[in-house]
Amino acid sequence: MFDTKIRVAAACAALALAGTYATAADVDYTKMTPQELAEYLIFEAKGYKFDAQVQTEGATAKDRLVQDELQKVCTETRNKPSPEQAAKISAAARESIKYPEGDIKLGDWKKGRELAWSGFGYRLDPNFDDHKKSAPGANCYNCHEFAGDRQGGTIGPSLRNYGKLRGTEQPVLKLAYGIIYNAHSMFPCTRMPRQGAKGLLTEAQILDVMAYLFDPESPVNKE
Amino acid sequence: MLRKLLVAVPLAAAMAGPASAGPSDDPAAVLQALIDSTSSYYLTQSEQNLMMMPDNPALWSLEEGEALFKTPRGPKNVSLEGCDFGKGPGVLEGAYVELPRYFKDTGKVMDLGNRLIHCMKTLQGFPADDPAVKEIHGSKSDHMKLQTYIAAQSNGMPWNPPMDHPLEKAMRDAGEVVFYRRSGPFDFNCAACHGEPGKRVRASVLPYAQDPKEWTKAISWPAFRVGQDNTRSSQHRLRECIWQMRYPPIVAGSDLSIALLSYWTELARGQPAIIPDMKR
Ligand code: HEC
Ligand code: HEC
Repeated sequence: MFDTKIRVAAACAALALAGTYATAADVDYTKMTPQELAEYLIFEAKGYKFDAQVQTEGATAKDRLVQDELQKVCTETRNKPSPEQAAKISAAARESIKYPEGDIKLGDWKKGRELAWSGFGYRLDPNFDDHKKSAPGANCYNCHEFAGDRQGGTIGPSLRNYGKLRGTEQPVLKLAYGIIYNAHSMFPCTRMPRQGAKGLLTEAQILDVMAYLFDPESPVNKE
Repeated sequence: MLRKLLVAVPLAAAMAGPASAGPSDDPAAVLQALIDSTSSYYLTQSEQNLMMMPDNPALWSLEEGEALFKTPRGPKNVSLEGCDFGKGPGVLEGAYVELPRYFKDTGKVMDLGNRLIHCMKTLQGFPADDPAVKEIHGSKSDHMKLQTYIAAQSNGMPWNPPMDHPLEKAMRDAGEVVFYRRSGPFDFNCAACHGEPGKRVRASVLPYAQDPKEWTKAISWPAFRVGQDNTRSSQHRLRECIWQMRYPPIVAGSDLSIALLSYWTELARGQPAIIPDMKR
């Protein structure tokens, strides 16, 4: 993977030196590996609009396509890391988690419910999510079912009665906080987004979402 | 109207096709045969869809597309009947189920949209910035009308993208890599939502990419999107999923988009196209 990048980059540099614009016609796709060609189509052949506006100050649209180490390993293994890779991933993920100081105190389940049910945020053109108008949500309901009042997705397991089934002891809360912060700590190469580690949710927001899961008054535990 | 336009189905395809390919003059019959052959959640939720298909508004796109196709247009005042979609100039029957494919005259692997643009420019003489060439989305665009007409001439035929040219294979294989490539703020790839059977995002049942019978319905575009009140293309569906993934917008017609379409067509190989289809 690493030397793939270098080779493609070298090819592009050569083209640039020759004064040629690196369009599709200038390079022989059949001489590349599928991985090389995929990287080329994304980064050199202008497959995505890299000048698109993004929500995060100082970041670019292109940054979103650059893979970090975890994304690379999970891509290469199609989400089935070897035991060694899995151990490395979960260790790094545990390392990434910033726990609240002191005991974990549940937030406001009503706010948490709103967050869990909101799919707003981080989408780009052609229908840009303006975070100045409305704060991004947490997207949980796309993949999880929480309660009987609204149909959630099934990509992840059902979270109905989550708190009722597990109680609210500190170790239980700490585990759940870790999963929401960076689920790879428990499930290496999971499809669940890294809500805390990627800065998608603040500590306070995670505690609100957790209240939705654990508060005895939350509809999640009222069935 | 529908019958007249769609009647032309080669016997060969009907006989050589998979068991699920039923009478092929009517997209609803093709879908019904698929449903009858599987217990797939994604397909069997289509009851309502089926009931609406005789009045599919995409049939208007189809009809308008036929007229546009046959009318001499552009600075050179010729029709598109001389356009080669891969099976020879003017041959539309079965052309769409064999796209994307490699075209010698451009040296590129092209999908239907790119091929249409090519013929509008070279054959009809339209400049690149003419609305006929440039506007590719929406029932009102020439593109959607023409694409619906052309693609419908493959209704009921099995997807069969050619893999004879090395570029066709290269694009398909790169498309597979992109399909599984995780990135973006949510770490998504296409398989995050289409990598397991019988899953839902909220209330939407997701097609599973590795089940060709589900996947043929998923990739059967143009289709009328009821929720959007418009006839839509493959490129439009791709754009929507990419948007949900929090990626930058994909460039329609880019080689990246063609690679993804090459792989997604491969995944439905052998199963009959349903065109025009209807979707939520
Ligand atoms: C893209 C899909 C997706 C999204 C979005 C998502 N999850 Fe998950 N989640 C999963 C999957 C898949 C698992 C199962 C872990 C695994 O095996 O990969 C999971 C597991 C969990 C678990 C552990 C369940 C258990 O067995 O104890 C919790 C808790 C959880 N998710 C909460 C959340 C919350 C809260 C959010 C939103 C902030 C969220 N998830 C967003 C896919 C998702
Ligand atoms: C975050 C979830 C998600 C991701 C990631 C995703 N899709 Fe989708 N996809 C959907 C949803 C939801 C639908 C609509 C299903 C419905 O309502 O019938 C859909 C529909 C489709 C369909 C057509 C089926 C239809 O009924 O409209 C195709 C084909 C498709 N996706 C391909 C892709 C490809 C290729 C990628 C990656 C580039 C991708 N998807 C990534 C959620 C996703």
